[in-house]
Amino acid sequence: MEQPFNLTSEVRDNCLIITTSGYVNNVGGEAIAAEFARHFDQGTRHVVINLAQSRVVNSVGMSFLIEIIEHLQEADGKLVFSNLDPAVEKMLSIMGLFQYAGKEKTVEDALLSFHDTGKKGS
Amino acid sequence: MNGGTGAGTPARLFGGQIEALEKAFRTLTLAATLKDQAARLRDVLGSYFAGDTVRLYRRTGADWESVAGGGDETSSLLPTPAGDTGAASVLEGGKISVVQRLADRSEIGVLLVRRAGGTPYAEPDLITLRLFLALFDSVYRELAARRNEKDLIFSLNHRVLQLNSLIDTGIEVSKLEGAAPPHHLALERAASLTNASKGVLRVTRGGRTEEEGWFPHGSPPEGAVPREGGISSAFDFGGETYTFQLFDKESRNGIIPFDETDQLLLDALSRQVHASLENLYLHQEALEKQKIEQDIAVAASIQQRILPKSLPAIEGYDIAGINIPSKSVGGDYYDCIPLPDGRFAMVIADVAGKGVPAALLVSSFHAYLTAYLEAGIPLVELARRMNRVISRASTEDKFITAFFAVLTPSSGALETVSAGHNPVFLRHKDGGLVELSVGGVPLGMLDMDFPYQSETLTMAKGERLLLYTDGIPEATDGRQRLYDEDFPLKDYVRAHVPPRADAFIQELIADVKNFTGSAPQNDDITALYLLKT
Repeated sequence: MEQPFNLTSEVRDNCLIITTSGYVNNVGGEAIAAEFARHFDQGTRHVVINLAQSRVVNSVGMSFLIEIIEHLQEADGKLVFSNLDPAVEKMLSIMGLFQYAGKEKTVEDALLSFHDTGKKGS
Repeated sequence: MNGGTGAGTPARLFGGQIEALEKAFRTLTLAATLKDQAARLRDVLGSYFAGDTVRLYRRTGADWESVAGGGDETSSLLPTPAGDTGAASVLEGGKISVVQRLADRSEIGVLLVRRAGGTPYAEPDLITLRLFLALFDSVYRELAARRNEKDLIFSLNHRVLQLNSLIDTGIEVSKLEGAAPPHHLALERAASLTNASKGVLRVTRGGRTEEEGWFPHGSPPEGAVPREGGISSAFDFGGETYTFQLFDKESRNGIIPFDETDQLLLDALSRQVHASLENLYLHQEALEKQKIEQDIAVAASIQQRILPKSLPAIEGYDIAGINIPSKSVGGDYYDCIPLPDGRFAMVIADVAGKGVPAALLVSSFHAYLTAYLEAGIPLVELARRMNRVISRASTEDKFITAFFAVLTPSSGALETVSAGHNPVFLRHKDGGLVELSVGGVPLGMLDMDFPYQSETLTMAKGERLLLYTDGIPEATDGRQRLYDEDFPLKDYVRAHVPPRADAFIQELIADVKNFTGSAPQNDDITALYLLKT
């Protein structure tokens, strides 16, 4: 079973890294969106969401993730997911999130992907 | 820019108005939400009319809500559009209030209270404001259409996701050695696919809860534990009832009722778990059966190694034997063992029961028999000892019927002991048949040191001896008739006197098979035939 939802964040090289654990539902999605908004307002445009400890995401939770992607797109930013459980990866793929967001195996790979695209955030 | 009244000639006025509307269009179309669009309009209006108090309101019901510019004390000034006109406006005391009905039946209201510098608003300003609001409505229609399209795509993708997940979950729960119990995985998937905030699986037997697992935390949520409400699905398996329950369907606007699709999904997942549990049960049964078959194969192999590959040649005699095991391992045994003093011991035995225990008992029988024969123990004492050791080696329901005979080839002397075995037939040359059955109780039936008796006779030239197990007289045809000892077995023994012992054995077996026809062989068939030539 999933653990209670929890979230931690850190900023590394101007990238926001949000690490979650537990069910990404309405509560989880709101918490992620709020954390994102706090950093977005301060100019962060590159975001990594590490879902290593979240094996279950529902569509309400996904709608928050989509909003984050849209906000970043409008601001020429980018979101990369990392450490995805195969079932979650498939869900996000079917919902079309990877058309506008990246995915990497680890947080480090995700951070490197920002370097690779030459879009190091402000 | 001040495009308000008195800013120039009509041509300049229109030109400025068109330019402002174009600019407003570009600005408004960038908005992602109605609120954002309203804020952008407020900026446009403030700039165009040089107004320092521009307020926007929206209402979806009876009351106005401020959406840009702040303050609601003046919302009472907003007019209500009459009938299907879709718009209403008021110019009074140098203030303008305009209401525009939007595509979603909500209304947007704008108040221009005061212009910077104090110039009152006039009729041309009212007309221009109405143009801005018509533009706002048009852009909002586009925004609503985009949002509807996005919602539709999201909804379609979610349906695809639900179907895909249903298939994947079906595959995962049907894995016989999956990481998680199938019902836990199904609960997890059912909750996420229906947007339930929590769910529970209860396994009950006779009303008593044997297992309870909650999603998402594994244990009941804090606060009141819901027992009813939401949606549920249940099935019975193995005397237990598995019940899935989901509670509190989430949406961005709070908790909403579950719909028909949610119930269908939960029922489908519940059925998948039911099928998975049944498959797991059948798989375990098959594994157990396979294990038993392997044990039986080992037992059969042990038994076959105990049986003689060939019988010894006895000068002046011709001897042949056969063992045809039935499908399951039986406990038949036969042999002819040369003794150190030149005599030969002929033995036939049948363990009650089949399977591995019977094969093991035959193995013990063989070991003790050869040991006692090598030690030169007399036949009656041998039978007594065999009874004792078999009693101790077997369970209460296991015993062995056996027939022991020791032949002195030179004289034809034959000493026999029957331990509860089928009578052995001695056929005289003239066709007369003698039954040899003197002895005692079957071996291992009673551990009471019963005495055994023997009988001795002399085989003359042309006489024949048939030892057999009950696989022959208990062979049945399709109508459950026996190949009985009295008939037809005895008649066959009397009538058939081929010159070779092995020919007699083969022909006897053929006759039994001919009698039983297509009926299956239920027991081992074993026979030993001795002919004095």
